[in-house]
Amino acid sequence: MFLFFHLSALTRTLLVSLIAIVTLAGIMIRPFKLDEARIALAGAGLLLLLGLINPLDAAIVLLKDWNVFFFFLGMMALSSLAEAAGLFDWLAVQAARLSSGSSRRLLFNTFLLGSLISMVLSNDATALILTPIVYTLVTRLRLPVLPFLFACTFIADTASFLLPVSNPINIIVLSTFSLDLWTYVRLLFIPSLVVISINMIVFFILYRRQLGGRFDIKRLSEAATIRHSTYFRYTCVVLPGIALAYIIASAFQFPLSIVALAGAALLLIGAVGWKQMNAREVSRHISWSIFGFIAGMFIVVRAVEETNLTAQFGQLLLHLSGGGSFGAVMIGTAGAALGTNLINNVPMAVVLTSALQGVQHASTTTRLGFIAATIFGCDLGPNLTTVGSLATILWLLILRRRNLEVSGLDYFKVGILVTPLMLLAGSLTIWLLLR
Amino acid sequence: MRVLCCLDGTNIEALSKAITTMLRPDTLAIGLLYVIDSGPHGEMERQRERFLRQAELAPGRREQLRQAEEASAQDILEEGSRNLAGAERLQRRGRPEREIVNCAVEWNADLILLCPRTTYGSKPTIGPKSVGRVARFVLDHAACPVLLVRPITREPFPIPR
Repeated sequence: MFLFFHLSALTRTLLVSLIAIVTLAGIMIRPFKLDEARIALAGAGLLLLLGLINPLDAAIVLLKDWNVFFFFLGMMALSSLAEAAGLFDWLAVQAARLSSGSSRRLLFNTFLLGSLISMVLSNDATALILTPIVYTLVTRLRLPVLPFLFACTFIADTASFLLPVSNPINIIVLSTFSLDLWTYVRLLFIPSLVVISINMIVFFILYRRQLGGRFDIKRLSEAATIRHSTYFRYTCVVLPGIALAYIIASAFQFPLSIVALAGAALLLIGAVGWKQMNAREVSRHISWSIFGFIAGMFIVVRAVEETNLTAQFGQLLLHLSGGGSFGAVMIGTAGAALGTNLINNVPMAVVLTSALQGVQHASTTTRLGFIAATIFGCDLGPNLTTVGSLATILWLLILRRRNLEVSGLDYFKVGILVTPLMLLAGSLTIWLLLR
Repeated sequence: MRVLCCLDGTNIEALSKAITTMLRPDTLAIGLLYVIDSGPHGEMERQRERFLRQAELAPGRREQLRQAEEASAQDILEEGSRNLAGAERLQRRGRPEREIVNCAVEWNADLILLCPRTTYGSKPTIGPKSVGRVARFVLDHAACPVLLVRPITREPFPIPR
């Protein structure tokens, strides 16, 4: 708005690109430990101030993507309310009881539990809520911690494309390219099962020596954590209902955010009624900065879109793919997976979603290949470095050179071994299913 | 002589057997050390940051983790005391390899006793990777002699000449 003089298209494009690149680099490097939301909002604010994006356009972009924002809100509220009921703790204890003292079976059950939670309550719930619970559990059982900790971390992403609700990234992509449930399941459910199986097999091979022992379930006797049995039972009834509602809503392409919010409201009524949690406490469990981050990214990418750069990026992807479904899946997966490790997977999904609007005129299978590959790559890609970005890994490697033992590298070693395998197998499966 | 035994939850029998067979227990001051590994907390914090959340867990959950770690540590030290009566219990929190080295100096240990790596039900291995990260670090950095304890094995012999 402060640029009152006329800018040529080239200057405008250069300015927008520069701001977008600096914003993405800032998210990657996080100077002065600034959080990603501030960086994304600063980029968006600068674009608005310089008049490089019309405020009305920016507002329309944000309003158009209301489903994404409300889904994040509903998802985080649902997870925190289910956590307050002690559901995750209870499920983890049941997983241990059903393992009959076998470490191997407990790891298997952890994978199953993580898959189930990711499928219904999204990968956030598995990574952020289940992980510390499983850590507590295996610590009490005196089992090796790392295989179980890594299992939770990996399965959170590996099982995050079983359903559209399994990862908010899916909602970002599907808000622009609405796929009917059958197409989604046809293209992504079986690949998901394939990569989950690979994930499990590799883990059982990698940790075979650490999983040889048995555990005494009696060590868990003091660990029961259901605070209020009626609210717990209520949650156990409501959550399957929400899962069913998600499936029906996906089938009818009804906004999933409404289901998530309605489900959260139902649980909140119970939580307030039985004095387990109130709205203020729920709001403390919600990461509000995520909304700023997504809003900032939407505006930055919209400005880039207006310069036609994302469309050209889409064309480049199409060109690299050779116009066929095989190339689309491979290029889409590789691009998304690498991108999610360079920057966070949220901005990568926003960028790719915008770019894929440039491949609308391609054949249906090619277009579907790109969409499925974007979801697949952005969901599974973070497992490559697991700590979020290559920048973090580089930092860990620098620390290592200074002769410091950094356990984050343990993650990296497993990620670099298992993720390319899963990406390859999953993308081949998607391609086979496209034909 | 002051002997610092480094417990990992699986090695108390091996360590106590080594003390009774190789050393004279009645002449020893024995310390039982267990270190609560802080590494997994770092992993969980990094994971939370990746999901754009505050690195620290909620206070309730943090307390739950702390209680589990303390209970497990007490359990392991208790087991150690049953095997080596009269031993002094020492508990630390941090990176195990560093805590062992530092604790040995603070406690004036003359000898550190530990197993090459934790074996969860599997057979101890010999070969290039038989010494784990913690034992390797302690061997490299300890200010006193270090005794690595592992059972006698004959399986892969003779080694090709």
